[in-house]
Amino acid sequence: MATKTMRIEREIVSSERETIFQELRKAIGAEKVRDDEITLVTYGRVRHGFDIMWPFRKPSFVVFPETREDVVETLKIANRHKFPVTSVGTAPIMLGTTEGGIILDQRRRDRILEINTDSGYAVIEPGVSFDKLTSALRGTGFKCSVGTMPGPGTVLGQALSRGSQSFSTRYLSLVLDLEVVLPDGTVFSTGSSHFDGVGSHLRYGPYPDLAGLYTCAYGAMGVITKAAIRIHPVNEAYRIHFAGFDNYSDAVDYVKDLINNNIPEHTFIWNWHMYLTWPLSPSDMEAVMPQILESDFRKPPEGTPYNLVSSFLSGYKELVDAYEKVCAKVAKKCHGRVLSDEEVEKRFPATLAGFRQQYGDYSYRESVHWSKGRFAGWYVFAEPKDMKEIEKFAVNEFSKFGKAINPVNYYSHPFDFGRSILLRIGGFPNPDDIELRKRISKKFDEMYEMALKRYRAVPIRPIGSDRAGTYMKVLRSIKKALDPNNILNRDSGLFEEGEL
Amino acid sequence: MNLSTTLEDVQATAARCLREARCTYGPWPENHPLCPMYWHEPSFTFSGGGYLFIVSALLDKKIDFNQSITDFAFSCTGCMACDSNCNIIRFHEPYVDILDIIRLLRSEAVKRGFIPEGVAKKMYDKVKKTGDYGKASSLKLPDKISSDKADTVVFAECSHTRTQKDICEAAVRLLEKIGSPISQFAERGCCGSTLYDFGFWGHLEPLAKAHWEKMKGLKDKTFVFINPHCQEFIVKRYPEILPDYSSINNQHISQLLADAFKKGKLKSKKTDKVKVSYHDPCYLGRGLKIYDAPREVLASLDGVEMVEMVRNRENSFCCGARALGNYVPNLSEDTARERIKEFEATGADLLITACAYCKDNFQNVMPGKDKAKVKDLIEFVNEHT
Repeated sequence: MATKTMRIEREIVSSERETIFQELRKAIGAEKVRDDEITLVTYGRVRHGFDIMWPFRKPSFVVFPETREDVVETLKIANRHKFPVTSVGTAPIMLGTTEGGIILDQRRRDRILEINTDSGYAVIEPGVSFDKLTSALRGTGFKCSVGTMPGPGTVLGQALSRGSQSFSTRYLSLVLDLEVVLPDGTVFSTGSSHFDGVGSHLRYGPYPDLAGLYTCAYGAMGVITKAAIRIHPVNEAYRIHFAGFDNYSDAVDYVKDLINNNIPEHTFIWNWHMYLTWPLSPSDMEAVMPQILESDFRKPPEGTPYNLVSSFLSGYKELVDAYEKVCAKVAKKCHGRVLSDEEVEKRFPATLAGFRQQYGDYSYRESVHWSKGRFAGWYVFAEPKDMKEIEKFAVNEFSKFGKAINPVNYYSHPFDFGRSILLRIGGFPNPDDIELRKRISKKFDEMYEMALKRYRAVPIRPIGSDRAGTYMKVLRSIKKALDPNNILNRDSGLFEEGEL
Repeated sequence: MNLSTTLEDVQATAARCLREARCTYGPWPENHPLCPMYWHEPSFTFSGGGYLFIVSALLDKKIDFNQSITDFAFSCTGCMACDSNCNIIRFHEPYVDILDIIRLLRSEAVKRGFIPEGVAKKMYDKVKKTGDYGKASSLKLPDKISSDKADTVVFAECSHTRTQKDICEAAVRLLEKIGSPISQFAERGCCGSTLYDFGFWGHLEPLAKAHWEKMKGLKDKTFVFINPHCQEFIVKRYPEILPDYSSINNQHISQLLADAFKKGKLKSKKTDKVKVSYHDPCYLGRGLKIYDAPREVLASLDGVEMVEMVRNRENSFCCGARALGNYVPNLSEDTARERIKEFEATGADLLITACAYCKDNFQNVMPGKDKAKVKDLIEFVNEHT
């Protein structure tokens, strides 16, 4: 039934294509609507890389709005014709698009509209990248939360797909306030700015938190045209503290203890494959990679900690000095040892440089290793004691793939002051080894099932609506109310089946 | 990359693109827009990554080779900003530059008989008819300095335009002023640079071989180049396409001039004060990494004040001259205008460059009264010494 409905819809799409094209050009300007074959083909796969593992879905048009009104007009036309629309950012997105639909690429909307250093937020358009925002924040006394996204990635893409940055120790979600356009052209704001003349300082008002509805909705509930995101003051002093651990369980105890005592602003647990390779420059890569590629990620060489915990300590200088002492005390209590700056500089210079880049200028530039292969990651949240078991389980499962997916990189960090812990573990299979990559995908599905059943682990991305029960039922009802013609991100993301 | 490389050979490289458009802008924190196509038409399509996706799509049979792909391939200005800024493609085997993949795409287009109308078509017709794109240079060394025994050889590039002839003539006068003995390498044919850039690979190898046959007898000498395109091609590409190539000592003429000033062999005249801004040509700058020598030369001239444009050195913005396709209308002219706007914002009196293509393209979009504001470094130094 679903297939039949979709086929009928697409036949309508085909017959009305020219009409829609002309309407779009008239409404927003011909130069903002492209339908040339080369543009359409280069937008046929919008996940990163032209990866034959992912479906190729050629759109009918790519629209480049320059104003909010362009978005409004595009959606109204598409809605009238029941024509699918997928909104995308500059960098890789987590979803596919709809064959024959409109891709709404908001990269030209890249203005930073306000940096509010009194309250601590920045109002940005959807096309603003981390590079642009982190650069603009220099000298303001404010910073973005510590990034895990490449510089060209859009801030909003990260915030709305709830990348791991949004789960960092203290920062919570990046999002304060969103301006949303619905398919019928309705525009509204989710936060305090919905009151005339009021700024975006408050996500939660007297009403339900609608920003949450747009987080991880992958554009299915409306198109975001503006956002206020949290920025954070740069403190008087900062230091990066490193402690090494021989097992993950001790590392978790350590970070929990620190967080519960309000010590680090931000903290990460890294496995040794990752902290040795993460931000490597090409020359370092050549020196280090051959050994890493041949190694068993479960067994670090003598003297190399299995896990490294990096803690970003910030505040008044006196406090940072005291925090450092506390870190050393807690590390000892948790069977770890402090790694001095000198030791880190000597043994992992690129790692230290990467940390300094992230914590020193609050920016993040893409490290080169991501293209060693096509990164395949498995991400879950769980309570701390469960996560200790999950780490063993995930490591065991990953080890079954052998060296073919080295380096096996994982990082883990506490979210919401340690109530929940994120584990992201991934490998780098050869992009051309489709069979291996299919096996990995299948294995990941099994692992998500098992982790949920055995260890109460929540996946970071949707793993099938049948597992979400009445939650998805309610979401579908909301979707029907907001997007009755189901034009937004029809074939991917939240409602993958293609119809409601 | 060699001349037998196929699209299949670069498939793995093309597939590495993460689609971030990192290839389009300069380093943090300035993040200057650098790719002329992307600046003109911000879209993933019009980025280095867009070309990589098209190669992947061709190989994956999602699109057929056609005239549009040809026009698209020839529309890139070839400024190398993508290769300088992408931190994925160039660091992973197989090492292939994005611009080389674009050249390969052009070569595939030419093989299939697709040539963009206009300059590229005329170029192709000439190459097809004569097997060459060379034209004799007007470079003729005065007897006073000409010596076959000299350790330095000036490479006489083809001279297709009045601009190139003027620059070559000024170069000769400067060499005469310096007075050191010099010999001349004069081969009437193209070194291959232009043919390589625009995909006319079928005719390239014999020309490169003929050049190298003559050059290798002089390889213990230092070659001085006037045109950075020829220099970049010979020192970077001959090793890839000629099995018996061995490296040569080479210099751009700006380096020779800087050295001559330092050694007191060239002296500046006393002239009125003039404020200049230097435009880094892509092949001299990003291609050969020669940024300091032209600036040192300008700093050696009395009364000359140098002011930098916002985008300079490795983050320079292209002049747009080498965009021969018409997939992005007015790209070449608009790129030149954008750069001139940046020059005007400096308040400088003169825009100095070190490549004939840049000079021509800037002058082409300037009103008649302003054309004299654009000068080549060699001509400018000749006037001031």
